[in-house]
Amino acid sequence: MAEARADKTGAEKTGAEKTGAVLVVGAGIAGIQASLDLANSGYKVYLVEQSPTIGGTMAQLDKTFPTNDCSMCIVSPKLVECARHPNIELLTYADVQSVEGEAGRFRVSVRKKARSVDASKCTGCGACQSACPVRSTVRVPEPPEDAEDDRTRTVDAIIDSHGKNREAMITVLQDANKAFSYLPEEVLHRISSRLGVPFAEVYGAASFYKAFSLEPRGAHVIQVCMGTACHVRGAQRILEELERRLEVTSGGTTRDRQFTLETVNCLGACALGPIVAVDGEFHGNMTAAKVPSILQRYAGRAAS
Amino acid sequence: MRLRSPGDLAALRDKLLSERGSTGREIIISTDSTCCILRGSLGVADAFKEELAREGLAADVRLRLAGCLGFCEIEPMVVILPQKILYQKVTTEDVKEVVEETIERGEVIERLLYSDPATGQTIPDIEKVPFYQKQMRLVLGPNERIEPTRIEDSIADGGWSALARVLSAMTPEQVIAEVTGSGLRGRGGAGFATGKKWQTTRTAESEDGVRYVICNADEGDPGAYMDRAVLEANPHAVLEGMAIGSFAIGAREGFIYVRTEYPLAVQHLKTAISQAEALGLLGENILGTGHSFSVKIVRGAGAFVCGESTALMASLEGRVGRPRAKYVHTSEKGYHDRPTNLNNVETWATVPLIINRGAAWFAGIGTDRSKGTKIFSLVGKINNTGLVEVPMGITLRDIIFTIGGGIPKGKAFKAVQTGGPSGGCIPESMLDLPVDYEELAKAGSMMGSGGMIVMDEDTCMVDVARYFLAFLKDESCGKCVPCREGIKQMLAILERICRGEGREEDIGTLEDIGRYQVDTALCALGQSAANPVLSTIRYFRSEYERHIREKHCAAGVCKALFRYRIDPEACNGCMACAKQCPSSAITGERKKPHEIRQEACIMCGACQDSCRFDAVRKVRTVEAAV
Repeated sequence: MAEARADKTGAEKTGAEKTGAVLVVGAGIAGIQASLDLANSGYKVYLVEQSPTIGGTMAQLDKTFPTNDCSMCIVSPKLVECARHPNIELLTYADVQSVEGEAGRFRVSVRKKARSVDASKCTGCGACQSACPVRSTVRVPEPPEDAEDDRTRTVDAIIDSHGKNREAMITVLQDANKAFSYLPEEVLHRISSRLGVPFAEVYGAASFYKAFSLEPRGAHVIQVCMGTACHVRGAQRILEELERRLEVTSGGTTRDRQFTLETVNCLGACALGPIVAVDGEFHGNMTAAKVPSILQRYAGRAAS
Repeated sequence: MRLRSPGDLAALRDKLLSERGSTGREIIISTDSTCCILRGSLGVADAFKEELAREGLAADVRLRLAGCLGFCEIEPMVVILPQKILYQKVTTEDVKEVVEETIERGEVIERLLYSDPATGQTIPDIEKVPFYQKQMRLVLGPNERIEPTRIEDSIADGGWSALARVLSAMTPEQVIAEVTGSGLRGRGGAGFATGKKWQTTRTAESEDGVRYVICNADEGDPGAYMDRAVLEANPHAVLEGMAIGSFAIGAREGFIYVRTEYPLAVQHLKTAISQAEALGLLGENILGTGHSFSVKIVRGAGAFVCGESTALMASLEGRVGRPRAKYVHTSEKGYHDRPTNLNNVETWATVPLIINRGAAWFAGIGTDRSKGTKIFSLVGKINNTGLVEVPMGITLRDIIFTIGGGIPKGKAFKAVQTGGPSGGCIPESMLDLPVDYEELAKAGSMMGSGGMIVMDEDTCMVDVARYFLAFLKDESCGKCVPCREGIKQMLAILERICRGEGREEDIGTLEDIGRYQVDTALCALGQSAANPVLSTIRYFRSEYERHIREKHCAAGVCKALFRYRIDPEACNGCMACAKQCPSSAITGERKKPHEIRQEACIMCGACQDSCRFDAVRKVRTVEAAV
């Protein structure tokens, strides 16, 4: 562990002195700019960065908002300046472990990770990276446990019915979501391993599409249509009334797991707006006053 | 039975028509469509079936359970042929009377007739009803003549004949020339020339010669449901159009990407596909001509952005539906990097019409650059809610006031929103604008998929802009920064204005961000996201200024800017509002004027809804505080 001290001037001894050195955490564009400004004003700057390189997200972008300027054109001169600035000391591939002290004289422990590359000799040619056989192998994580429970059997049946190819992923997720009323984590793992799709991609799709839920849902799902036609006819008030009566916000499930409240972008039956659908049954020309009777009608009913 | 040649199809049609008999007595019920079912159409249909059987008329009078007939406001509607009598909002209790009076005795039942809101007169003949009079129902027309789940009805009505003609008597080049010559443009919104797209897809290089056609039925625009209605009521026309397209383009496989929110459309499509396959109208060697084409249905999963072609194709491939930059068009490299032709439901359904009646006929309808008809869903604050199909070039005024019957409760018209979240709001001063791709774009809106949301004086335009941005913020896929961050920032500003915390410079900032969005966003969703904001600022700037400077929402929508108050003069102390108030904020004794405890009021508006004496008023917050 390498330890960098922000108070190298020996402030410890006198106690009252300010060190005049600054530690910047994160070498993204904001951190870089802050370091450069400070360094140019004469401060000693320690720039700590978690990843092995500086530049952050901006270095990965093509264009920047809102001017559509080339992002590398903005950031790359700063990267070079940062690396060469006599007042800036780069601590890359490092984590801040602890911060003690007070404004003016902090004591910071920084853990610098092993690079396994001699930085003084490295020319940045990238040959090692392209030669490494491990790099481009997709490692599909094993399912947490191979328990043959009901859930796995259901998922397997769904997967088999659609053919074991990755193109069927969305359809499989739809059917699984319907079968369990949400997508439990182990189900996503199972789909990932059976279809040979990285878990991140399965999770990505499950969290991207609105039709999927990652949380268990209530026995009854209430959907409030928020289409334009329903909106101008007062859908918002109906949603608020439901939120108030059920004591949940949109997207939430009541504590007794009776109801899940959701909004939907248009059910395409605009003549009947505002519309509320409960378990797929539509209730047209809704008013806030009709909310209690509808809730009552479903409250006693078993899940459909 | 499998049809082995175009001649077989013609023979089947003749047979179906001759079997039908010539009594011409029919009862058409708008039954098999999501909104009709909601209004109890299935019960009405069953009641008619029973009643006809009881009266011994089942063989004599044909009962046709059609899909959407367009006039959603008066559903379930019943049309009696041959007299063409239209009955509105028919319930099961009315059925007996209709059969006894109208079917048996030919009498018209006055109370079930449609009455014109403008004149108050009843109109028995469906063709004389203003809602239908000005329409030109080319795509929607067959809806009343066929039962969605009976392909025989479609064949008897002339469906699939265009495909037979194309396969037996035309070359792919001739088909494309016909579609190009008709001037048909994409009905999904952008209005790209359909023939040109087909041509590009046909000639684009494909490594193994595979090409695809896709029907975009991911109708995500809130307030637009014409695609659902077409798919539910006449899936055959869409399939026939796709089959014709597949022949012209050289595709053997097609996909229909349908919203998962449209279960009935999926069901009807499935039925139609299996019926067409059984008859040999889809599948291998269609009608013995050697052309093969199969269609697969894929359900969407609730992502608005998947209506964008590249996102849709990503979703079809089983990935997250994010668009890509279109340096290379999907007609060259689309689904699995093969040339892919994607058209909207309505576009596909229009194709058979063009083949049957000729490019010149189609090009004769509409304006210079926009040909044919377009279906709009006329919704919101309008008397005649429904689907209307009109020739291009008709004015917005004609659609809203003649066909739509104007605004309910005598309120004033304020704006009409076209083009969904990508479109804009058009004010009254521009109502004489002809409906045309270019004209709407010039007005700062767009044709879009055809949603037409009418707004009256009670609609706050700042709130409308906020509503669309809130929608788009949720639906932005997050891939490009301008869309992800720009919409969020604009929404934050609009929310601030709606809360009464708007700043003087806000309008300028919104305009700036909006302009950047147009130039920098990756796909059409982001590029057009600012349209609702920019168009409302353009036409309703004063409304924004009043929100910012005077903290005043004239429409009484922005909750932070007004309070409810009971006018003691008008209140007679009936207690109705106090009973309705969910937060017990209303105090006062019977027969004495009530009062609202402002600190307990949650602004739900239940008191105003329940007051029959118009005593609950909205007072500006700034005034209420005094």
